[in-house]
Amino acid sequence: MNVESSAPTPPLRAAARPVPLFSPGRVATIATGTVTQLVRMKTFYFLLAFALVVVAVGNFNLPATPAKELSMIKKVSFGTMDLFAWLFAIVATALLIPRDQEDRTLYTILSKPVRRVEYLLGKLCGVLFVVGISLVIMYGICATMIGARESLFISAEIEAMTAGGRYSQEEIDEQVGLIRQQGLRPELGFAVLASFLKASVVAAVTIFLSTFASSSLFTIIVSILIFLIGHAHTMASGFWLHSSDNSLFVQMLVKVVKILIPDFQLYSFSEGIVQGEAVALALVGQMGLVTAGYLVVFLLLSLLVFVDKEF
Amino acid sequence: MSLPAVEVKNLTKVFTLGLKKEYVVAIDNLSFEVKAGEVYGLIGPNGSGKSTTMKVVLGLMAPSKGEAKVFGLDSGDIRARNEIGFLPENPYFYKHLSGAETLRFYGKLCGMRGRELENRVTELLKLVDLEGAANRRLGVYSKGMLQRIGLAQSLVQNPRLVILDEPTAGVDPIGSRQIRDLILHLRDQGYTVFLCSHLLEQVQEVCDRVGILFQGRMRREGRLEELISIEDQTTLTLEGASPELLASLHELVASDPDARLVAEGHPRTSLEHLFIQIAERNRQASK
Repeated sequence: MNVESSAPTPPLRAAARPVPLFSPGRVATIATGTVTQLVRMKTFYFLLAFALVVVAVGNFNLPATPAKELSMIKKVSFGTMDLFAWLFAIVATALLIPRDQEDRTLYTILSKPVRRVEYLLGKLCGVLFVVGISLVIMYGICATMIGARESLFISAEIEAMTAGGRYSQEEIDEQVGLIRQQGLRPELGFAVLASFLKASVVAAVTIFLSTFASSSLFTIIVSILIFLIGHAHTMASGFWLHSSDNSLFVQMLVKVVKILIPDFQLYSFSEGIVQGEAVALALVGQMGLVTAGYLVVFLLLSLLVFVDKEF
Repeated sequence: MSLPAVEVKNLTKVFTLGLKKEYVVAIDNLSFEVKAGEVYGLIGPNGSGKSTTMKVVLGLMAPSKGEAKVFGLDSGDIRARNEIGFLPENPYFYKHLSGAETLRFYGKLCGMRGRELENRVTELLKLVDLEGAANRRLGVYSKGMLQRIGLAQSLVQNPRLVILDEPTAGVDPIGSRQIRDLILHLRDQGYTVFLCSHLLEQVQEVCDRVGILFQGRMRREGRLEELISIEDQTTLTLEGASPELLASLHELVASDPDARLVAEGHPRTSLEHLFIQIAERNRQASK
């Protein structure tokens, strides 16, 4: 150890640096650290599995019209993309905080001038950044495959329809239009955004669970359960609340579940987009606001638990 | 008079176990001070409350009663953390980061950026002799190297107080000696060092004052020389003394009715010193 050659700066200084109430810089440092951690954990390997699924689906010749075949490719690809996004959000988030605690890395971080809200926010931002990048890459893979199949179908259709000379230009254009409607359209970006918003809420729920859970496995299982219940509770609560023989206890329970568990069915508008339906921008904006509300609520709940947690 | 680096007053920490509402008193009405610029050692067996005391000082735990202050600031105040560098026992940092990246990460958490941060990283890597391993990931670091990078991260924001929890746990004698030298160097530089250890020989070598903790209570505290010296005994170590001189000394002692020869023999080196001597000799020879 070079104790003679390299002396640190004399410590007798006037006062320590002031600590701001909230530092975006520290949040960014923790978020960047989280991204690096997830990237170096080779989590992006799951994109290879996704690419394989998309390529396999894209090359599967279905006994259907080109438009239906394109629709099928989109449904499977976007469904897989959505599944990978929320599953990745849960697993990645559930691994981060408990691991920091088990490895005592959390001690060294929180013994620096870092506020707990900055730590939580940094972790969440890091996970969301990786989920966002993953979705963009997955969308790129999907778009390449759908675009290629669309061009192939259109040229084959035009060739087939013009060959016999039996179809007018209007009929050919109509057929091509049908294929294009199921092809690569800018609106599909909103479906990707819906997956991202849903994954963000799932990540926030998982962060909340991991602030008090004792293991990553518990966090993952409960998060998946909440996600599944979140897809069904609107329907279930409607059924129970309108049923005549429900007790006060059941009614209360259903109300509590409805308040505590996010309604993931709200994001199902993306299915319509994938099927070629038009989307209202107002609906997308509304989803953005609902997501922001969920993120704030779950971050506040996480903070409530985490701020007084003793390590 | 300068503020004490650490001031613990009537600190009590009680843990509740499970749902049965069983209580365990980890620290019981503990009071002590660590003066600015000294090396203070808190010693005690496992479970005596050393780590809990440190965690309260670090703000990782809240006291059940009493208070802990760092340079006059409440230990729960985030500004106090700017004054502290902490090395936990058996530190595990992010294995995916290299040594230099680890220091940059912790430096940025302390608000350091740009040239200031880069200079500090270079300076600290040199200090802990890890310049050659700066770009290696921590996953391949040895235990001693991890401990040294841990020490470097604790110093990154140039804190006034360095808290070390079992700084040489699991480190070989050479690594242990390096860390000990660094602690002494830090004291010479004016840092305050507060360390917890149950390696008594090490504490004896580096600490100015020690506190002995047992079952959450301070049993003895004071300057090391005062605590360990046996007031009514004296040690003489002679080199090259002839048998005649020794005989004269024996006669002299025997002639005094109040004095008694307690022990006589050849002083021994410690196994640790012997090991370091051999290792040093081999290292010189291999050069």
